[in-house]
Amino acid sequence: MDANAAYGRALARAFGGALLFSFPLLMTMEMWSLGMAVERVRLLAFLLLSLPMLLGLSYYAGFEPTFRLKDEVLDALAAFGVGFLLAAVLLGVFGVLGRSGLSFQADLGKVALCAVPGAIGALVAGKQLGEGVPSARQKERAGTLGEIFLMAVGALFLAFTVAPTEEMILIAYQMGPLQALLLMALSVLLLHVFVYRLGFPGESRRREAGGPLRTFVGFTAPGYGVALIVSLYLLWTFGRTDGVAPHEIATMTIVLAFPAALGAATARLVV
Amino acid sequence: MATASKSRRAAKPSPRSEPPLLEWISAAIGLVCALVAIGFVGWDALTGERSPPEIEVRLVAVTPTPHGFVTQVEAINHGGSSAAQVTVEGVLSGQGEPETAQATLDYIPEQSRVSGGLVFEHDPRAGRLVLRAKGFAEAS
Repeated sequence: MDANAAYGRALARAFGGALLFSFPLLMTMEMWSLGMAVERVRLLAFLLLSLPMLLGLSYYAGFEPTFRLKDEVLDALAAFGVGFLLAAVLLGVFGVLGRSGLSFQADLGKVALCAVPGAIGALVAGKQLGEGVPSARQKERAGTLGEIFLMAVGALFLAFTVAPTEEMILIAYQMGPLQALLLMALSVLLLHVFVYRLGFPGESRRREAGGPLRTFVGFTAPGYGVALIVSLYLLWTFGRTDGVAPHEIATMTIVLAFPAALGAATARLVV
Repeated sequence: MATASKSRRAAKPSPRSEPPLLEWISAAIGLVCALVAIGFVGWDALTGERSPPEIEVRLVAVTPTPHGFVTQVEAINHGGSSAAQVTVEGVLSGQGEPETAQATLDYIPEQSRVSGGLVFEHDPRAGRLVLRAKGFAEAS
């Protein structure tokens, strides 16, 4: 029974984290219309990809200090449930769901799309709202691949909060080629500085990884690459790339990669 | 090192023990949520037809007000894809000059119904009212 009570507390914390992480999206109009309009195949791919991502995230930052595959799977599933139920309840309260005449599929799309950021928040909450000190286990377990995975989750998370908005496309239209290159340079610079120079908590190990050039090639460059890929994937999922000229797609990706790079840089702080 | 970090949380179960019942229950709920979401979206993705939007506009009610005859209409999308910025037009004839009113509905998902209103100077119940959707933008 004691274990149940402890798990209940962890679960409540997970709901808190999911709420903090997903409410900006739940209160964004574009998320509702995207939930209805996103091509179903792409939404399906997004949902199917989110489960292994949650599993990996549970491995690094689960709301329970777990070690075994069974526990990771249980945590990842519970986190998805937390995100899903929270999205359903809040969207229902906001009057987004159950509008007369709208099909069940439309409502389900909205909830499913909002469930994923909520689930990330639920998993991260264990660390963010819990004891706060990242345990030695988490730091030592993240190898290069793990670092890149965490960067991808951080990038996905921060990019997701702005990717659905019209502003991303508008900014891309407003920017010239020179400004796009400038934004790219700025993103890479910020990524590098945030991770390796400012000394945020949890970054110490990576700063010892070698000389500045080696750090750049080993972490910053892949980090920005991950940010670009995640951005392009999100734009494609939301149907922003359909029928758009390649150079505009490139500009949109660079624009979205700016928040994604910041997310990748601070993944260790947040995730 | 792993066990050291573990033992700091006294309330947590030891690594050997089974996950608590509540963990199984919440994971089961999560699994159901995931299956519902993936199942329905997948079913829709695989079997859903992709025909163009097909919008029918119906008269719901007419309310005389001091500011005109408020005519509530509903637009029903019978097609297999969603439509955005649907322009709904009503032409009222039979009382002298034909009178036109129009409204734009932001978004009508496939197989769904959205309400709006048109305002006429004359009573639509007395004349001949033709309602139709004039155009839409592809939803994205």
